[in-house]
Amino acid sequence: MRDRILAFFSALVYAFLYIPIIIVIVFSFNSSKMLGQFTGFSLKWYDVLLGDRVVWNAFYNSLNIALVTTLVSLFLGTLAAYGVIRLDVGGKSAVDGLLYIPIIIPEIAESLSLLLFYKFAGYQLGWLTVLLGHIAFDISFVYVIIKARLAGFNRSIEEASLTLGANEVQTFVKITLPLSMPGITAAALIAFTLSFDDFIKTAFTTGPGFQTLPLVIWSQSARGGVGPEINALTSIIIAFSMILAYIYTKLASERS
Amino acid sequence: MSLVEKLLSSARKHRSLAIALLLGPPLTYLTIYFFAPFIITVLYSVGLIGGRGTLTGNISIKFYRQALRWVYIKVFYNSLILAALATVGCLLLAYPVAYFIAMKAPKKWRNPLVVSVIIPYWVDFLLRTYALMNIFAMLGIMFRYDAVVIGMIYDYLPFMILPLYASLEKIDRSLLEASYTLGASPWKTFIHVTLSLSKPGIAAGTILVFVPAIGEFIVPTMIGGVSVTTIGTLTWDLFLKFHDWWRGAAVSVMYIAVVLAALAIYMRKVGELEI
Repeated sequence: MRDRILAFFSALVYAFLYIPIIIVIVFSFNSSKMLGQFTGFSLKWYDVLLGDRVVWNAFYNSLNIALVTTLVSLFLGTLAAYGVIRLDVGGKSAVDGLLYIPIIIPEIAESLSLLLFYKFAGYQLGWLTVLLGHIAFDISFVYVIIKARLAGFNRSIEEASLTLGANEVQTFVKITLPLSMPGITAAALIAFTLSFDDFIKTAFTTGPGFQTLPLVIWSQSARGGVGPEINALTSIIIAFSMILAYIYTKLASERS
Repeated sequence: MSLVEKLLSSARKHRSLAIALLLGPPLTYLTIYFFAPFIITVLYSVGLIGGRGTLTGNISIKFYRQALRWVYIKVFYNSLILAALATVGCLLLAYPVAYFIAMKAPKKWRNPLVVSVIIPYWVDFLLRTYALMNIFAMLGIMFRYDAVVIGMIYDYLPFMILPLYASLEKIDRSLLEASYTLGASPWKTFIHVTLSLSKPGIAAGTILVFVPAIGEFIVPTMIGGVSVTTIGTLTWDLFLKFHDWWRGAAVSVMYIAVVLAALAIYMRKVGELEI
């Protein structure tokens, strides 16, 4: 009985999580522009989406920023994680604390300090300033995830490999890298999502003419309504993410 | 021997060189694009940097005095209350769900259930909030305080569920059996074993929700309209509407101080933290 109540409550919470998403998907097939009244099935917003230069351009910018951010922060965050586990106790907690600060500091405070910095240093606001800010934010998240993974496995495996005559490069490629792969995958997913979804930092650090998808959605909703073609785009993104999630869980369960 | 191998073999001999090679690039990057900007912000907040980014040469605390006016203090207070409500709401909804996934659901369901918590969050934050706005409009609760709280709970829920699940899943089941064997009731076992062992998860979730929620901008603006002012909306207005860099910088420095103080108090109370 108690378990039943628990299961029922959990189902309600899942419903709470999914209802808004389902609304977005359902209304991407609505024949009228109104969100709230379903007037009939139509694919016309998908058609409108195909021809909407502003949305596609913003989508391209978001993807571009998120991909470059993921690659660079994955590289820098992984370096940091490999470095920190090699430090002795005192140095470890100091550097570890430094790397945690970007996670703890609220995003809006970080964003405005970046804006002030760019103004002071004379940066031209645009693609580069947005990118630099996203990377600064993502390094720490990558670091935390990969460090947790590295802390979980036994260093003696690496030592065994070195003792048996493999050099550092071989050991890294054959032992360390495959063992930290699940951590790297998780870190890449989080880094990409954080960057792709980011609104506050992008709003503070972008310049005229450079818009990402969240900025377009924001300006549309500020003007009183998000175009249904954005619902269509979101539905496509969800479908795509679901497929990736399915593959990911499938792989994860096969590995374990 | 390639260049990389040469570097690595000399790095092996000099441990500190290896560490410098590994930590140098990320720490340099963060120094330039994370820590330096905060120093610049402090310089702005005390009036050391003037209108065109020029150094003024004199320090003044007038921006802090302006930021300490009653209206602003009230905004800080409101933000803390709103964040606390959102955090408690998240905890109350998340704990049973995390408990269900970790303890009751069949093993092969666990992974899909965890991933299903995350999937809705691949939809853009703004779009999710926009979808909520439409539901709230249908229910007739737009621009109300409770709607803002529900909106914030919605947006932060996974950040509570995931760390709770991680700490609940780690609990050794034999401890629960031991507790039953020794005659404790299920309720007693839950309070003394499960709940107390999941404290690191509660601590991590609370921080992951509470800290960003204090500065929340999107939900109060879109769902609350002008009726709810938070540190987030205040900072946004000072910066992007009024271009008042100096007062904005002072508010932001105070905001960070509040966050760090809250964290320090919390960590002292809860003890060691695991995120």
